[in-house]
Amino acid sequence: MSTAVSVRGLRMAYGTAEVLRGVDLDIRRGEIFTLLGPNGAGKTTTIEILEGFRNRSAGEVSVLGADPARGGDAWRARLGIVLQNWRDHGRWGVRELLAHVGEFYDRPRDPDELLAALGLTEQAAQRVNRLSGGQRRRLDVGLGIMGRPELLFLDEPTTGFDPEARREFHLLVERLAADGMTVLLTTHDLAEAEKLAHRTAILVRGEIVACGSPAELADAVRAESQVRWLEDGRERVLTTADPSRAAWELHERFGGPVPGLQVRRPSLEENYLSLIGRAA
Amino acid sequence: MTGTTTTTTTTTTTTLPGGAATGTPRAGGGGVNARGLRVGLRRGWTEYLHLVRDRRELINNMVGTVGVFALLILWIGDGPVEGTGVSQSTFMTIGFLAFTVFSNGLMALPMALTTDREDGTLLRLRTLPGGITAYLTGRAVTFLCQIVVQGVLILATGVVVGDAGLPRDWLTLTWALLLGTVAVVPLGVAIGCLLPNPKTAAGAVGLPMMILMVTSGVMIPVTFMPEPVQWVSQAFPLYWQGLGLRAAFMPDSMLAAEIAGSWRLPWVAVALGAWAVAGMLLAPVMVRRVTRRESGSRLADRRPAAQAS
Repeated sequence: MSTAVSVRGLRMAYGTAEVLRGVDLDIRRGEIFTLLGPNGAGKTTTIEILEGFRNRSAGEVSVLGADPARGGDAWRARLGIVLQNWRDHGRWGVRELLAHVGEFYDRPRDPDELLAALGLTEQAAQRVNRLSGGQRRRLDVGLGIMGRPELLFLDEPTTGFDPEARREFHLLVERLAADGMTVLLTTHDLAEAEKLAHRTAILVRGEIVACGSPAELADAVRAESQVRWLEDGRERVLTTADPSRAAWELHERFGGPVPGLQVRRPSLEENYLSLIGRAA
Repeated sequence: MTGTTTTTTTTTTTTLPGGAATGTPRAGGGGVNARGLRVGLRRGWTEYLHLVRDRRELINNMVGTVGVFALLILWIGDGPVEGTGVSQSTFMTIGFLAFTVFSNGLMALPMALTTDREDGTLLRLRTLPGGITAYLTGRAVTFLCQIVVQGVLILATGVVVGDAGLPRDWLTLTWALLLGTVAVVPLGVAIGCLLPNPKTAAGAVGLPMMILMVTSGVMIPVTFMPEPVQWVSQAFPLYWQGLGLRAAFMPDSMLAAEIAGSWRLPWVAVALGAWAVAGMLLAPVMVRRVTRRESGSRLADRRPAAQAS
């Protein structure tokens, strides 16, 4: 089994509002996969269908070989889930809660080793509702991986993080993936997806508009480049998908150096923004 | 965040303990469910300890239950009920015991449930194998612990302050109280699942609960009620629990005030047992249904409102 998640023609409608309009996805085992998109694109809905928390309207979904809508406890034991904005178990102690969650699994991690790996050893005896936002988030991830899941879902894990906290969080996710865990992460931050993911799918308005490795993605979403030069004392602008060819043709025409030649390729971020704009 | 920065960065070279799972098959549904029960027992006890450690909660509890009850006894007095050898305070002790179980089950329990729904506790448990079983078991255990402690306090207050009679039949008292408590859990869970948020609990449940209190024979003998009302009352666990408690405290000379002139203890056990079993079968289904409507994004939507409160 090399596929952890397989989705075909996934549709979700709330009343007349279509949130997902035929999503296809394949997530390989052991990869970090990000679902990237602006707010309201349907990322959370998608991930919650995969987690078995929502019933889909149509389509085929397989997560670790089972349909999430019918997944039992044995299936659930192989998943780790980190949702947005958890404020639960505020009265519990940090270590107490980790140990409690571990009791649900056959081979839980050691709570103390996990606390150390998460950098929460000093907070072990603290009440959960006294943790800072970043600490709370790391505890949430800790709770999600307590049972050594094969597949970990992270829904917008770094929202509200400062850059330092974000970097630490990325290192944590990379370590988890290095241990062989498959990670599905949603984000609306392109830089995060680019840095962290082996592969990314861009979800806009309930449809996947591009999917692949960062390089493949850059190719797939590449907006047209601009070539500028001076001719007859005026600036000329050419918008083209192949700026290299355009420059070569200009050199041929001028029979030498082209005055004021500029080639401007859009950044990945500009591509992404234009992509969101195009689909919207 | 900054305080822990160094700790985290130094651990980046170490691998996480144990490595990832290799896809070994886990225990089947039955095994996980038995585990859910076991984990739930411990969970309930832990949550009870959290409640006990919370000083404000403890004081509320003491003043709310014992204080109010002591005042009530001192006000009404401890003379015997006319024409019987039973004191007023014995009546009141029984009534207050039943009231405590019922009010906790129909008010405190649903409110705890809606709170757990709002802050993501239920959703967290739903992510765990056997989590819903553990959650419900835990809630029942916490509830039982509260009832046992409050029951003892009420009984002690009744005896010490009001000179109430001690129960004649401790065994009946124990099982009627415990089974009655378990039987009211499903009702509480059902209400908790139906209520939109914790603040509406008091308003939505208060009036029906008071009506049931009056008609179920824990305040006024049930035979004073018109017959249709008696039938409705007998459909709810409160009546049967009150009957069981009276059987434990009262002499048989009081049977004239009961339906059919009998304590009907086997029926008490059957009725309370049926409520308990029905609840254990239905409550997990209801909780799963209600958590299906919850999600991370909805938690996020509610976050500002919850923080403002």
